[in-house]
Amino acid sequence: MEFNNLRLLAGVLILTLAACGEQAPSTTPPPAAESAEAGAGEGGGEIGLPALPTHWINTRPIGGGRGPVTDADLDAGTDDPGQWLLYGGNYANYRYSPVASLNPETASRLQVAWAFPTGTLGQFEVSPVVYDGIMYVSSSYNRLFALDARTGELYWRYDRVLPDDLRLCCGPMNRGVGIKGDTVLMATLDAHLMAFNRLSGEILWDVEVADYSQGFSTTSAPFVLKNMAIIGVAGGEYGVRGFFDAYDIETGKRLWRHYTVPGAGEPGSETWEGTSYETGGSPAWTSGAYDPETDTLFWTTGNPSPDWNGDEREGDNLYSNSLLAVDPQTGERKWHFQFTPHDVWDYDGNTQLFLVDIERDGQPVKAVVQANRNGFFYILDRSNGAFLQASPYLEQVNWAAIDDNGRPVVNPSAVPLEDPEFRVCPGNMGGMNGAWTGAFDPRLGLVYIPAIEGCQMFQKGISAYMDGQEYLGGMPLTTDVDNDSDYGHISAINAATGEIRWRFKDHDPMSAGVVATAGGVVISGTQDGHAIALDSATGQLLWKFRVGGGVRSQPIVYELDGDTYVAIGAGNWATIAAFQGGTTSIPEGGNLFVFKVGAGS
Amino acid sequence: MRRRWSGLLLAGLAAAGLLGGCSQPPPSVGYMKDPEALKRGKGLFVGSCGAYCHSASKDRRDAPYLFDCEWLHGGRDEDIFNTISHGVPNTRMVGFAGKMPDGDNDIWKIVAYLHASREDCGQAP
Repeated sequence: MEFNNLRLLAGVLILTLAACGEQAPSTTPPPAAESAEAGAGEGGGEIGLPALPTHWINTRPIGGGRGPVTDADLDAGTDDPGQWLLYGGNYANYRYSPVASLNPETASRLQVAWAFPTGTLGQFEVSPVVYDGIMYVSSSYNRLFALDARTGELYWRYDRVLPDDLRLCCGPMNRGVGIKGDTVLMATLDAHLMAFNRLSGEILWDVEVADYSQGFSTTSAPFVLKNMAIIGVAGGEYGVRGFFDAYDIETGKRLWRHYTVPGAGEPGSETWEGTSYETGGSPAWTSGAYDPETDTLFWTTGNPSPDWNGDEREGDNLYSNSLLAVDPQTGERKWHFQFTPHDVWDYDGNTQLFLVDIERDGQPVKAVVQANRNGFFYILDRSNGAFLQASPYLEQVNWAAIDDNGRPVVNPSAVPLEDPEFRVCPGNMGGMNGAWTGAFDPRLGLVYIPAIEGCQMFQKGISAYMDGQEYLGGMPLTTDVDNDSDYGHISAINAATGEIRWRFKDHDPMSAGVVATAGGVVISGTQDGHAIALDSATGQLLWKFRVGGGVRSQPIVYELDGDTYVAIGAGNWATIAAFQGGTTSIPEGGNLFVFKVGAGS
Repeated sequence: MRRRWSGLLLAGLAAAGLLGGCSQPPPSVGYMKDPEALKRGKGLFVGSCGAYCHSASKDRRDAPYLFDCEWLHGGRDEDIFNTISHGVPNTRMVGFAGKMPDGDNDIWKIVAYLHASREDCGQAP
């Protein structure tokens, strides 16, 4: 036998014997899935398509010449009906337009003025920004469009080229942009913050907020305050250490970081067993509110990690599921209030805050109110965080009662078990959820809250932290979704008392945002693909229009040249629709609809 | 050239003989008979794989339902181990190789739990 043959035989034998080892199967990565986008982008597809651009710059003069966005513009919020600058409409988060021309008499005359496709799948959760006659719309997967707010004409566009191994528990959404000066800001799924020139679309800067491969992402609209863009991270399902940052809008330089989980020895670390705070989650993935009277920034946090097994993180797990009052100059905490200590249900405490001035027992109170994901409507004193009241805003809440200090008294049957049999209400998505908005009508003193009405069983599993992997410790069993007993509603809640004034019910959970008008109309949408208008005093349905996709966006209202417009996006993500009980048969795909109050009957 | 072919033939015969002699089953087969291993496999699946990804009930998610006989990347235990270990590019499935607390043993226990809990598929698809 020649040496070459001996060598060949030996090689085969070694390989063969190796295959007989204890863990015999060889393991090789499966081939990459075909990606049409990648093929087109590389220009190397079989038919040789040219690479598609991902950035279209505008060189024409556009807009109405208003000049850069000022602090005064931001302070005015929606008091100027020709603009919508902030995610919450104003710093108090009212999502309330002073437009009187959209009222119960005219709502039925809403007609499509224009529409625009995003070309992307997944939840279309945007709250558009309108300034100087230009609308800025971001979509799932971080596409950003600048459009003529009157006609929908495209001015500029940017498509983020994202890595294919993003860490997204719950979809590829983006909720909108921030704007200040001549800068538009967008946070990305790979946890970057980007700045664009508002007229040309050119990139001014791009900074990494966090390493996405460790489980971070950013999905909310940057909160603009003075010279700062404030953005918090998602990642509560990955055991990240949550935080929110302030960046200088001019330069992109980070000004401060506020960690939402304490470090070793810091106040609050005693509320975590051992070193469990190191993987404690508490993300900060929604936008905040600002009180200029006390110069206080309000931010909220999500669940501790792991979500559904708290055995290895005994304690209250500060500052998860909390409202944090912060000095915006330094990022330092003034006070906090924790809604759901030692959460084992994924009740992120980060739904929309409303800064409202109310009267209780004949005394004026500067309050902050919130329909929490845990099913309770909270009223706190926003000057010091004092608990004033909590009352259920859902028809089914059984996981806890709230004591006189605002602390939950947990129903022992509601904690996750290996083989659960107890139906816990609400389910892990809420109730209300930070992924969508409510609105406040100061004339009526009513907060409008869209919600899921449904329950789940919570199954406990093993908590195994793995770098950059989901760190859940259990899972919800979608009990009510499976038997189709869940439903949804928009509730009108008295901000001073928590009393439910009216409910508008729908057969699917309601998970679109809301805008309210001074004319007395509430605009929202349904998961079966309708935009709707309700009478804000009574909840009566005034108008509905089939926009096609399930509505998950935050509608806005604006006025230009005497015309009244409503913008609302349609497009859901089938996976999350299946999870929370929405319609899964409607194809995905984002489309923006803009309606105008017509002259006809 | 003839001598090279004869060498290849010899090597092939030797490999076939050895493979026929070893044919060791994957670790999941043993774990399927071990209640503690199955419990850990279930606990890891519930704690790391369910929730927003692989549903315990058959509905529409972007992540596949794992308790039927439809396997996108192979339904043999070795294939499932491979998929869990290395993930699936361009999806949300990121590989778990080298990350589980007890390494590959934990992955094999998840495979055993899936195999024991799924529909009877007869021969592996």
